[in-house]
Amino acid sequence: MIGTSDISALDYDDPAPISHAVEDENPFGTMMASFDEAADRLGLDPDIYAILRKPDREIQVSMPVQMDDGVMAVLDGFRVQHNAGLGPYFGPLRIQAGLRMDELRAVAGWMTWKCAVLDVPFGGAAGGIRMASSRYSRGEVERAVRRYVAALLSDIGPERDIFSSDVATDEGVMAWVMDTVSMHARHTENAAVTGKPLALGGTHGHADSVAQGLRAVLREALEVVGLPQRGVRIVIQGAGMRGGNLASLLVLDGHKIVGLSDVHGALYDERGLDIRSLLGWRAEHGSLRGAVGSFERITNEEMLVRPCDVLIPCAVAGTVHLRIARALHAKLIIEGAHGSISSRADRVLFDRGVHVVPDILATGGGAVVNYFEWVQNRAGYAWTPETVQKRLLRFMTNAWVEVHKLRLEHKVSLRMAAHMLAVQRVSQADGLRGIYA
Amino acid sequence: MSTAPAAADKKAPANEFNPFESMAQLFNTAADHLGLDHGLREVLRRPDREMTVAIPIVMDDGRIEVFTGYRVQHNFSRGPCKGGIRYAPDVNLDEVRALAAWMTWKCAVVDVPFGGGKGGVICDPRKLSKNELERITRRYTAAILDILGPDRDVPAPDMNTNEQTMAWIMDTYSMHVRKTTTAVVTGKPIALGGSRGRTEATGRGVLFTTREACKNLGIAPKDARVVVQGSGNVGGIGAMLLQREGYTIISISDQYGAIMNEKGLDMPAVLAHVKATGKLQGYPGAEAIEGGKKQLEIPCEVLVPAATENQITTENAARINAKLIVEGANGPCTAAGSKMLDDRGIMVVPDILANAGGVTVSYFEWVQDRMGYFWTEERVNTSLEQVMVKSFEDVSAVAQKYKVSMRIAAYILSIDRVATVYRMRGVFA
Repeated sequence: MIGTSDISALDYDDPAPISHAVEDENPFGTMMASFDEAADRLGLDPDIYAILRKPDREIQVSMPVQMDDGVMAVLDGFRVQHNAGLGPYFGPLRIQAGLRMDELRAVAGWMTWKCAVLDVPFGGAAGGIRMASSRYSRGEVERAVRRYVAALLSDIGPERDIFSSDVATDEGVMAWVMDTVSMHARHTENAAVTGKPLALGGTHGHADSVAQGLRAVLREALEVVGLPQRGVRIVIQGAGMRGGNLASLLVLDGHKIVGLSDVHGALYDERGLDIRSLLGWRAEHGSLRGAVGSFERITNEEMLVRPCDVLIPCAVAGTVHLRIARALHAKLIIEGAHGSISSRADRVLFDRGVHVVPDILATGGGAVVNYFEWVQNRAGYAWTPETVQKRLLRFMTNAWVEVHKLRLEHKVSLRMAAHMLAVQRVSQADGLRGIYA
Repeated sequence: MSTAPAAADKKAPANEFNPFESMAQLFNTAADHLGLDHGLREVLRRPDREMTVAIPIVMDDGRIEVFTGYRVQHNFSRGPCKGGIRYAPDVNLDEVRALAAWMTWKCAVVDVPFGGGKGGVICDPRKLSKNELERITRRYTAAILDILGPDRDVPAPDMNTNEQTMAWIMDTYSMHVRKTTTAVVTGKPIALGGSRGRTEATGRGVLFTTREACKNLGIAPKDARVVVQGSGNVGGIGAMLLQREGYTIISISDQYGAIMNEKGLDMPAVLAHVKATGKLQGYPGAEAIEGGKKQLEIPCEVLVPAATENQITTENAARINAKLIVEGANGPCTAAGSKMLDDRGIMVVPDILANAGGVTVSYFEWVQDRMGYFWTEERVNTSLEQVMVKSFEDVSAVAQKYKVSMRIAAYILSIDRVATVYRMRGVFA
């Protein structure tokens, strides 16, 4: 992917930079606002919670990198480590133009909560290199990545901070990170990164991990909402790794995908789309544009308000905004991407009685399978694809059960319940460990 | 072991009530059976390493007080040392040494890859605030840090230490080594890398060994009346699990007294009563009877002393009316008392086998922490069952081969395991 295009602008599957979703100047503060409410409802000790209001550590490094033409470019690298109460830090490595520290802060905090909801023994982190990878050669990107890793070496590693693949960091990039850490450590250290190629200690089930997680929570949610486990009409926004894989899985489960979209537009057919041929077309041509069939071609926005039982937005943040929230027909929304539903839209949906499974729970399959990769690397023993699936299902179901329990107990939305579960788990760990001095 | 003089005469009359002397005697008997040479006996008698540290603490009132802490690593040929840390005013190096050796034998009997260790701090926890206890724990951890670690020495809770103490040790160690290291201690809260099923582990181990022993003796669960001394994590949970498997619990005791019902106690209800009132006394479904040693004389098939040491001695061994004794506590039968039971044909499942469920699940916790993946409770219980059943069979086989009691067989087995590894590794120089 590197060197071909700046995929962050084109592909729906990339988590959107948080700053798109909120208007506030300080994304970390905005992100924390909902956790503040959760802490309030839990009656949490303010002293313990105060620790969570700030990242544990922020590191900024300056990285001289030799360009192909011999010129030295000095790039900026960042890593924010939010909280280590539950275990080593874990979070994405991004290569992105305009990368900002406060955005990383928000992502790092977000990762802490997400791992806690899923009961993955990690704390949150986020980092990256500020560079538009599309404007550099692959060799230049490699040198930048290796220099970045070397600069952070004393703060990362399998028990300190684990990098996961993210915006513009494909498995090739993760392999360089693994190699650099290993060369310095003087032994193979593949547990230092996740999202590696299978040949270098990657895990089965990585590609469709988020989709499998979404499928697992959908099953649980259908039960609660009172919809059947087959034949439900579903609209999916996004047709890449997340949306596309999910659409295929749900068709296998006997559901009807009535709407599917990518960045160029949406397809709708209330009798159900032929997902297999559409994804085949997309794999061949790079987009859904030009695909033939008996469906209607509409805009993304229009698709969101067309009749359906379940809506699963897997695209950029904020696609379900206020106007759409008022008009949409779904009884259940699974947030398939981070921040799909704007906060004002979320309130409208709550008032309208539309069930929303929040991103922090719904998209957790990715974090869980990354964690599985780390476990397999540490054990030096790779699991079969079936084992990965079985255990992923267990993690998703357990998280759902805990969140749902809190929802009933406190009579709150699933979103608030998920936030409360996260805050409860992280502060419990911090409380037990105490303040080191 | 190390409490015994190097040339201890095993026939010399020992103090019957010193459990460590009993253990030293057993060591000698087992070593004789194995024909262990003098050099190896010397090696196994002495701890590999002992550390004494001063622990200066700023008390809550601003004074500095200096406490003394110990960590003894008895033998690390089979793997990192494993053993509890206790806080008590009467902690002393001799006791810590003996307990460390005891852990070596216990780990070897159940074949977990650990050597024995033990530690302690001389202090009176009742007179310390939580903050002072935290500072003592952290300073003690920092002081012994160089000999601690998942691959060196892995402490666990013991007298007056608990999950919270273990969380502080884990945090202090992790901060010093600059990485999360949950596997440095076991007995942690589940939120920080603890294992499911640990609280019930020792009681569950008692269940498995009782079941295997009953099979050997041809006692069916439905025909087995069980008397349990102690109603805590070992006795109480053990009794509940035994009842669930069809055994009839006719009596159970606590420090205040005992209760009895010939038809069988309803253990979940009994434990709920204990939880609510703090004692057995007043439980409506049973008659209150005299506790203490008197309870042990009740006619039954299985007797489980799961309270404290020196309960069955030369004084009362002749009056014990059971076919099987399963030692849930450490050292409930004195060596001499145990000999009388042997002569009467009463089978005794010795402490280092019967109550090893706890250290086994501690081992599972360490395994889970090392891989960073946590087992379901069913998985923990199944693995525990495998270990306990296998260990029971191993000890039985040795007992038959050497024609000795289960107790001596357990020592023969464990000493042989440690000695074998020691010979294979050789003396490093």
